[in-house]
Amino acid sequence: MTKKIVLVLAMVACLARAATVLAQAPAAQPEPAAAAPAPAAAAVALTDADLKAAVKPTDRANGDPDGSLTGTANDIAIADAKVGLTLSDVLNQIGANRIGVNFAWTLLCGFLIMFMQAGFAVVEAGLCRAKNANHTMMMNFMVYGVGMLAYFLIGFPLQMGGAGAIANLGSTPVLNSEFVIHLFGKDIGLFGNTGYLLMHHGTYDVAIMVVFLFQMVFMDTTTTIVTGTCCERWKYSAFMVSTMFLGAFTYPIFANWAWGGGWLAMLGANFGLGHGYADFAGSGVVHSVGGITALACALILGPRLGKYTRDGKPNAIPGHDIMWVLCGCFILAFGWFGFNPGSTLAMSGNGGLRAASVAVNTMLAGMTGSFGGILYMWIRYGKPDASMSGNAFLAGLVAITAPSGFVNPIASAVIGLIAGVLVCLSCEFVERVLKVDDPVGAISVHGTNGIWGVLATGLFADGKSNYGGSWNGVAGNVTGLFYGDAGQFVAQLMGVATLLGFVFVLSYVINLFVDWFVGQRVSAKSELAGLDLPEMGAVAYPDFVLKPEAAMTS
Amino acid sequence: MTFVGLAVTFLGFVIAFASLGITDSTGGRMGLVLAGIVVSLIGIMGVLTPAYQKTWIWKK
Repeated sequence: MTKKIVLVLAMVACLARAATVLAQAPAAQPEPAAAAPAPAAAAVALTDADLKAAVKPTDRANGDPDGSLTGTANDIAIADAKVGLTLSDVLNQIGANRIGVNFAWTLLCGFLIMFMQAGFAVVEAGLCRAKNANHTMMMNFMVYGVGMLAYFLIGFPLQMGGAGAIANLGSTPVLNSEFVIHLFGKDIGLFGNTGYLLMHHGTYDVAIMVVFLFQMVFMDTTTTIVTGTCCERWKYSAFMVSTMFLGAFTYPIFANWAWGGGWLAMLGANFGLGHGYADFAGSGVVHSVGGITALACALILGPRLGKYTRDGKPNAIPGHDIMWVLCGCFILAFGWFGFNPGSTLAMSGNGGLRAASVAVNTMLAGMTGSFGGILYMWIRYGKPDASMSGNAFLAGLVAITAPSGFVNPIASAVIGLIAGVLVCLSCEFVERVLKVDDPVGAISVHGTNGIWGVLATGLFADGKSNYGGSWNGVAGNVTGLFYGDAGQFVAQLMGVATLLGFVFVLSYVINLFVDWFVGQRVSAKSELAGLDLPEMGAVAYPDFVLKPEAAMTS
Repeated sequence: MTFVGLAVTFLGFVIAFASLGITDSTGGRMGLVLAGIVVSLIGIMGVLTPAYQKTWIWKK
């Protein structure tokens, strides 16, 4: 053991000597006295102290109640027991610790996001009628599996196959295959092409497993947004096929363009538009894609029976359990602490500590969002509507998702407040002007406010964030229009144009095909009876007497 | 009208995307991208949605 310690100390002394030489070189000419040999002296002192302080296994015979004997040089992994502890072992341990911290952070945040599925499930089930509760819960239950299967088989390679090295996770060099076309004198990345089944082309790799888990739960969030808008009339088989396409193609393609090294991310490097499309945690990639797909599906499905009178006036169809709705909002807000701060993919290095700022921004926007919604409803309708308060809370969180990594706390509060009001206005517009039936308000919460979040990034990014000195391959920090970079705002607008003009059309066409081949909507008879029995074979509340269907308004 | 609406909506994306090759100026690109967004919104709200309202199950 003593030999090992002496060997390590010798290595440390060599390093310290090298550091001293490096430190002396630039300082020698202007100010020789400044080139103090302090590091070398410190290294010698460290050597002696280490010798004395080395913890022997026998020292812990009586336990270690204050933790001072646990986690010492004895705990460094040794590559070769015959050689003993070497400098290489020490350096490898430092690297492993950094990546280990980042792995743990990213995985735990991914687990938090996974739990958001429960939040979505109870929010959506609470906002539908009791006769459809089992069906709605089962959609939210299976969306996890169906979406994951599609993403595992097809989606992940399309999204991340060309993402390149992710330094915070120990690099992922094998994600290097992006399909590109040459246009306007530049390479336009369209989709990734490696990582199939997490085995292809060297992707059986621990760092890629972390990337997959984290990105998969993001994708699943997108798919579960659609089930809320389409509940109470969506055929279960159609839901499964539609979700499969969303997880396999629609989401991964846009996510590749934004996060996987695709053309939107490269707008800065290729066309000088700021730092390219910047979407820290997915207001656009996750929420807008989900909300816009929900709009496309809702247009194909049509409104629920009884939602509109024959002259087009909307009827209110209240949900059956507001307690679940608001409880679900809190579950979602909890999960959002994985969603946004986790998107640093790091706690150690490259700006990982900025996760603290991201977390606070997230809380603030949720808070101001709920205030915005409550005040709007209170002033306009005389009561602080519970379901809209919940939606406004979520709207604030959705809106801050893209900017959370780039803006300051004041901007976060403003973004959330605007989102809280915007979701109320958007819900009214969708229901009364577009006459689209959205039982849970997902189009407004996720679609409208996702777009607002994308734009807010281009407006409020203050240029203070630093994630390793560059973003999307462009040196410097993301800076919005209000802080002097109009190009960044154009990049964000381009993202919005892509969401509306490409993602919507793709989602609509896919779901049109699903409608032709599977049929999207249940029969009127099933819908009136409630989907629990006709579609699922069992009701959610067998012991309860449900209110009979009210006569349809003519 | 559904396919007309989809075509108009997609046209908005094409306009926005084409701005990358049409001009190098940030202002010009901003104008074209905004025009593309407006065209897409017209496609969704002005064409597709009215068409969808005619397909409501009790109007068939």
